[in-house]
Amino acid sequence: MAVSAERAPDPAPARSRRRRPRPDPVSVLNAARGIADELREGLGGSGARTAARGVRRLLEVDCVGLADLSGRPVWAPAPPPAEGAAAADALVEQVLHTETKAGRPPLLALPLLVHHELAGVLVVFGNARRSAVREAAAWIVLALERGRLEASAEQAAQAELRALRAEISPHFVYNALTVISSLVSSEPDRSRDLMIDFADYIRYSLARHGEYTTVADEFHAIETYLALQRAVLGERLAVQVRVAPEVLAVAVPYLVLQPLVENAIRHGIEPRPGTGHVLVRGEAEGNDCVISVEDDGLGMDPRLAEEILAGRGGGDSVGLANVDRRLRHVYGSWYGLVVETAPGAGTRVVVRIPRFQPGVMPG
Amino acid sequence: MDARIWALAGISLVTVATFYLGYRSSRTASTTQDFLVARRTVRSRRNAAAVSGEYLSAASFLGVAGLVLKDGADALWYPVGFTAGYLALMLFVAAPLRRSGAYTLPDFCEARLGSRALRGLAAAFVVFIGILYVVPQLQAAGLAVSNILPIPTWVGSLVVTVVVIVNVFGGGMRAITLVQAFQYWLKLFAIAAPTLVLCMLFIGGGGLRGGHVTGLSEPLPPVFTEHTTLRIETPVLLEVEDTVNLVANGVVDGDKVSGSAYWTPLGSPYEVDVGTELHFYEGSAVPVVVGAPITNDLWLAPSTSGSDLVTTYSLMLALFLGTMGLPHVLVRFYTNPDGRAARRTTLHVLMLLGLFYLFPILLGALSRLYVPELLVTGSTDAAVLKLPTRIAPGLLGEILGAVLTAGAFAAFLSTSSGLVVSVSGVLSTDVLRGRVRDFRFATAIAGGAPLALAIVLRPSDISLSVGMSFALAASTFCPVLLLGVWWRKLTWVGAAVGMVVGGGLVLASLVLNTISDFTGRWAPAILGQPALITVPIAFLTVIVVSKATPARMPADLAQIRLRMHAPDGLGFVRDRAVARFGTPEERARMTDGRHRR
Repeated sequence: MAVSAERAPDPAPARSRRRRPRPDPVSVLNAARGIADELREGLGGSGARTAARGVRRLLEVDCVGLADLSGRPVWAPAPPPAEGAAAADALVEQVLHTETKAGRPPLLALPLLVHHELAGVLVVFGNARRSAVREAAAWIVLALERGRLEASAEQAAQAELRALRAEISPHFVYNALTVISSLVSSEPDRSRDLMIDFADYIRYSLARHGEYTTVADEFHAIETYLALQRAVLGERLAVQVRVAPEVLAVAVPYLVLQPLVENAIRHGIEPRPGTGHVLVRGEAEGNDCVISVEDDGLGMDPRLAEEILAGRGGGDSVGLANVDRRLRHVYGSWYGLVVETAPGAGTRVVVRIPRFQPGVMPG
Repeated sequence: MDARIWALAGISLVTVATFYLGYRSSRTASTTQDFLVARRTVRSRRNAAAVSGEYLSAASFLGVAGLVLKDGADALWYPVGFTAGYLALMLFVAAPLRRSGAYTLPDFCEARLGSRALRGLAAAFVVFIGILYVVPQLQAAGLAVSNILPIPTWVGSLVVTVVVIVNVFGGGMRAITLVQAFQYWLKLFAIAAPTLVLCMLFIGGGGLRGGHVTGLSEPLPPVFTEHTTLRIETPVLLEVEDTVNLVANGVVDGDKVSGSAYWTPLGSPYEVDVGTELHFYEGSAVPVVVGAPITNDLWLAPSTSGSDLVTTYSLMLALFLGTMGLPHVLVRFYTNPDGRAARRTTLHVLMLLGLFYLFPILLGALSRLYVPELLVTGSTDAAVLKLPTRIAPGLLGEILGAVLTAGAFAAFLSTSSGLVVSVSGVLSTDVLRGRVRDFRFATAIAGGAPLALAIVLRPSDISLSVGMSFALAASTFCPVLLLGVWWRKLTWVGAAVGMVVGGGLVLASLVLNTISDFTGRWAPAILGQPALITVPIAFLTVIVVSKATPARMPADLAQIRLRMHAPDGLGFVRDRAVARFGTPEERARMTDGRHRR
């Protein structure tokens, strides 16, 4: 049987089909998917042997080996008999050095080039057509590429989280420090308190350990941030924070609430004259915890809010889209942000998170 | 004023106060200056009051006194067991469970054993136990309401269900900790104050009314304190110790009777049918329902018969191990900030419950003296409500009765609300995959299903049917919790099979027992309280099946166990970075973060 029968016309289709019935496409696709899944962790991962077994069944040969760059193949079901094993090892060594295919049936070795870069070697021992082996190697390469992409997507998500944590607005740091310094001689005690708040806030925002924290600590961060902002904005900012004690222990990703509060102040209160109110509440609702950040500031067009949540809002509103994406990533697509707003009517952002989610633990 | 109006006023007051407290604390926002106070965690003591408030149900408020009235010393195991369950919880489960981060029982199953299938099974049992627990609450509520208003029992159940559902819908249970803590103190006041007043009246009135009633340690049956006419609502089998002279109108032993009758010990038991009216004279001995101790000295002494002893041990086991498996108990512990606080909360709960249970026992003993006619009808759960007007006729008795009725109402309200919230939470997350609308829908189901059952099923003693849900919890969740916390080789297959076997056995005995109730009480006593058999079998099944499936142990076992068992100080639960750095003075200021001072 050959995989390529599905894709390229066989040189002698009539004869081969008479000898062997056409393979069931479902089982072939199933086997291919199995190989791809097992190779998610790469050739050195735990699934390499299962993948090799899958390739052997697909090609209907005696043995299949998969080697990573270390040059030691993982064989299924076992290395070729007697001198075959030594020959295969030599062949792998040769392919690793030349990066071109080597050997002749029944022993064949093909390089696996992922993004033009050598990642390993496929060794086949048995009676298989060259074209079939070539297709199998191509499929393995695709699977390896997919695994790498997934890993890098994960890394990107992590990096994004780190980036958001480090993203303290320079504007805010400048304002806070200026206000604190102006208070040093007139109100030394208050400036000292603010200094500690500032340190506390910076420590929390730059914390490197763990992905998750508790609602209690998130509210703590909000409060320090609000204390500093109230020093900067003075009477213009009125704040109410209200959280039910039942939800304080809920685990949440780092810094999902602070960007919402910052948004409310920066885009709702700061740009307009007069006093603005910000109301932050957290309460239990069934097995969920619902947190809302509300301001009576400028508000915006609902369509603009939609754009911002979709990540097309421009550089200034990365925070909201980022929080939304991280929440969906952790809790599933149901748990995104909900924004209720209209021009001139203020903005309300609602976060809904389950009180318990497997794998989400503070610390 | 009429006693009914007083009682109605009491009930309305409790309902309004509960609504208002929930509404006020969830609506009014604190001012800018004290916003830091808002994020203070709940102190163990208040949380303990909330746990107790949610836990003290109709079974505690009415049922315990009723059982003491009927069974005497043997019934004392109910309050002891209701309390001792928290000892088991404190010793073995509270802290590790809190550290595991689980909110509900299905959460714990998933966190510890990593299986969605087990989670579904656990959710099913939570719903079942919850509904089984709400049914007697609603039945008792119906009893209490029909005691003060001339309406059938089911209307009372309906009223309480509606109040609970409206309360949950309207967000009245949102600030649950505060509301439930308030409910505890309300209930404690509602039972302690009348009890103390009644005791003082009893002592001030010359104790046993100069020998007109039977002393509690005399080898004689209790006697009627006045001419009494009783209407039998459910068929009963009655037993007498001495010859009793009475007037009966209706059906006794299958024959129509009308006029004077003599009941003798030789002729016992007498089968009295529904609708029969019995008239007893003042001073004559009280017949009792078959199975209950007849004379007061037997009543006061613990039972020595073998089958009673087995039932008692079975009950103790069920209560001791069942408390940890009740759905509305565990969710309260989530409010504690860490494992140590969870343990301290449980300690406070033990004290609060111990204090509360003193009073129903006193009331039960008093009702043996003053309302013995309840022994004839078998509806001993009404003892607490009927006692005050009997001891103190007139306004004082009416007011005391109103306070007790209001307390009982608070008991139905808080326990049913807690259970309905827990059950609908599990329903909406695990069964309906929910959003907010589903939560409302789930609440309607969680309230409606028990209401239907409460109306259909025959009301038996509240504490007995509550005992059954304890047995179910002890045979399903207790093995999973205890072994999940303390035994590393537990697998989800073992837990699932153990839950099905333990739960299945309890359900089977429940069904058999119900059938036997309708067809002549042939079932052995152990079927009424099967925990002594089912709990060991459940434990054994979990262990054996887990041993047989070692491959199913979760991969991140060590990590989970570290999180559950590492002391809080090591900081696996909370961020301790602040406490590690800085000068001692700063640390003192900063460990509480911004909420210094």
